[in-house]
Amino acid sequence: MKKVTMGFKGGFHLLDAYPLPFCTIIDEISADGTPGQFQFPVIGQKVEHVVVNLCPTEPWTLPNWVILKHKTGVFLSMLKEIKTSYFSDARFHLAINEKEDRAVEDAMNFASAEDWIEVAPLCAKYPQDDPVILTQVLLGMDVNFGQDIKSLGILVVDAQTVSAMHEQGIMKKVVNSRYIVLSGTGLRENEIIRAELGTSVEKILKNKIKDASACRVFVNGPLRGKEISDFSLKIDWSVNNIVVLEEKNRKILFPMFKADELAFTTSLLGELRRCVYCNFCDDICPVALEPALYYHSYIRGEKHKARLYHMEKCIECGLCSFICPSKLELLKVIRACKALDKHE
Amino acid sequence: MKKFLKPLEPLLDKGLNAAESFIHTHRKVNFFFGAVFEAFDGLIRNPKETAQSPPFIRHNYDVKRFMGAVLVALVCGWVLPAIYLYGWQCVVPKLIVSFIAGVFIADFLWVIIAREEHIAEGGFVTCLFIPAILPPQAPLWLIGLGAALAIIFRNILGGVGNNLVNPALFSRLFLTICFPAFLVTGYQMPLIGTQGIHTVPQGLDAVTHATPFTAFKTSGEVASYLSLLLGTTTGSLGETCRLALILAGLWLMKVKVANWRVPVSYLGSVFIFSIFFSLILGKAVAPPFFQLLSGGLILGAFFMATDPITTTYNQTAKWIFGAGCGFITVLIRDFTTLPEGVMYAILLMNLLAIPIQSLMVKIRYRL
Repeated sequence: MKKVTMGFKGGFHLLDAYPLPFCTIIDEISADGTPGQFQFPVIGQKVEHVVVNLCPTEPWTLPNWVILKHKTGVFLSMLKEIKTSYFSDARFHLAINEKEDRAVEDAMNFASAEDWIEVAPLCAKYPQDDPVILTQVLLGMDVNFGQDIKSLGILVVDAQTVSAMHEQGIMKKVVNSRYIVLSGTGLRENEIIRAELGTSVEKILKNKIKDASACRVFVNGPLRGKEISDFSLKIDWSVNNIVVLEEKNRKILFPMFKADELAFTTSLLGELRRCVYCNFCDDICPVALEPALYYHSYIRGEKHKARLYHMEKCIECGLCSFICPSKLELLKVIRACKALDKHE
Repeated sequence: MKKFLKPLEPLLDKGLNAAESFIHTHRKVNFFFGAVFEAFDGLIRNPKETAQSPPFIRHNYDVKRFMGAVLVALVCGWVLPAIYLYGWQCVVPKLIVSFIAGVFIADFLWVIIAREEHIAEGGFVTCLFIPAILPPQAPLWLIGLGAALAIIFRNILGGVGNNLVNPALFSRLFLTICFPAFLVTGYQMPLIGTQGIHTVPQGLDAVTHATPFTAFKTSGEVASYLSLLLGTTTGSLGETCRLALILAGLWLMKVKVANWRVPVSYLGSVFIFSIFFSLILGKAVAPPFFQLLSGGLILGAFFMATDPITTTYNQTAKWIFGAGCGFITVLIRDFTTLPEGVMYAILLMNLLAIPIQSLMVKIRYRL
């Protein structure tokens, strides 16, 4: 097995920057009404490549041990059963965090005997697990952000989806609940729960938030996810995690001594300034763009010009806004420039 | 420190909040002191803004830390060595005058008159450069004038972020044109003992010497490389101790405040072009290692040319920028009567950075 090195420049080690410890006890929460059901990801479509993503790069996403239970062999034999019954002529690609030595070793041993699966130990640097980057690194195919990759015959699944496919498709059991990770500075403690599909966010977060007036709730992480203000939202299979962050919307004295207190909150952590051309945004960009060019075009009022600078390659990972020392809203600018298409 | 500040915090926070609301409710007070208060408040308190659009978490790195790193590198790179080499009586008054004239007079007045930009730490960086690039015997009024000019020039162009050329170098160019006598002479030997405090206002009354480069041009004498590295030769106040400057510059590159491409290409092209001209013209031009270690090249390459605002944004174009600086520096040093070319090279390439940047953008995106 060849060892695939990381296929992109830039990126950021979120797992190192925000270490989130989780309790290993998993609570179960049931829905009020009848719970929803897991939908099989593809029906009646030809699938050529299945990418199994065992390389979560965001600390607030579901860690691998919850599904794998440190038994990678069992998981892989599950995968084999799914392959023989559903994707008999597809190639499987296993993206696995290179730091999880035992899992990598088990997977390598398994793959050496099988010819339908390839194991790729990857560096868990955000946004390595983005579908666009994964297809680029593992399959060598260029896809655009927002493109329907299922129509190209590529299926990207995470560990939890694989286990649900196995339970429903092979064991013929009904899957109506999923693991959800709750984390953030706004919560009393970080935990993993198993909630039935259709449970409202309000019920999940009950008695868990420190101070409801001073926190904000994000579904699927603060980087790529959405903020929700309506807590009656019912969760479905696409909800992987809920992050609750403290809202520090007051001035904090001596921020230089309070890095820990301020770190995982919504605070901008600095003053809004002009662009100083520091090159941080293009150093960190995983798809080698120059986000400051978009910003400068945007503030000059030339949104159309901004789109000439290969904007379609942007995967909207948000790292440029994340790193910007001048705290510029680069992702917002990019989305505003991209949105021009839709009006024309 | 943390424990000491803890009991003071609520009191200080309350006081600052009261002062803030007082300033914002009184228009005239706000007119004169609003910006001053904001600058002070910004130094010790985190602003209250939170992320309103994704991503909702931000990295703990802001422009203050960026500029702070430059300040730290400059203090270690030239202020401390200069205090050792020339005595604190020579260095400290110059710094104080530079800060007062540049930040506390020019910037404050500008903020009150123009009402457009609040005072930021970028002024300190510029004002820390001014004494470094002037001779050790420059009188204090010249330092003050230079600092004020630099800040005013920067603000006229729109403040930090809109600089066309490096303000400190522009100010030195202005002083070179207006007061050539002070800039051509005034280079004293370091380590000759400290002078009395009364000599400070007029510059230190010591015997002046030619800089290594002027000495080379007049007599063909090449100073020893070790003395150039350690700073025991003559030169501007901040440029002599090259060893400290190189170490501070390497640290700046490591923390990614200075882009490594610019110093590498600048020093590399000076080295290559000086080898080239030495091979053709022989002893008439300065040898390569002497070129690298003399004059303001190290200070310029690590601290001036890397100023992110005045170089190109494109990373490939930074190589062209640095190489251009090196070429012009060698040309001026070898073929003109001017004693030093770093200032002219960086200023000229600062102007050329804009067309280079737009050309590289056109090539890269095939516009």
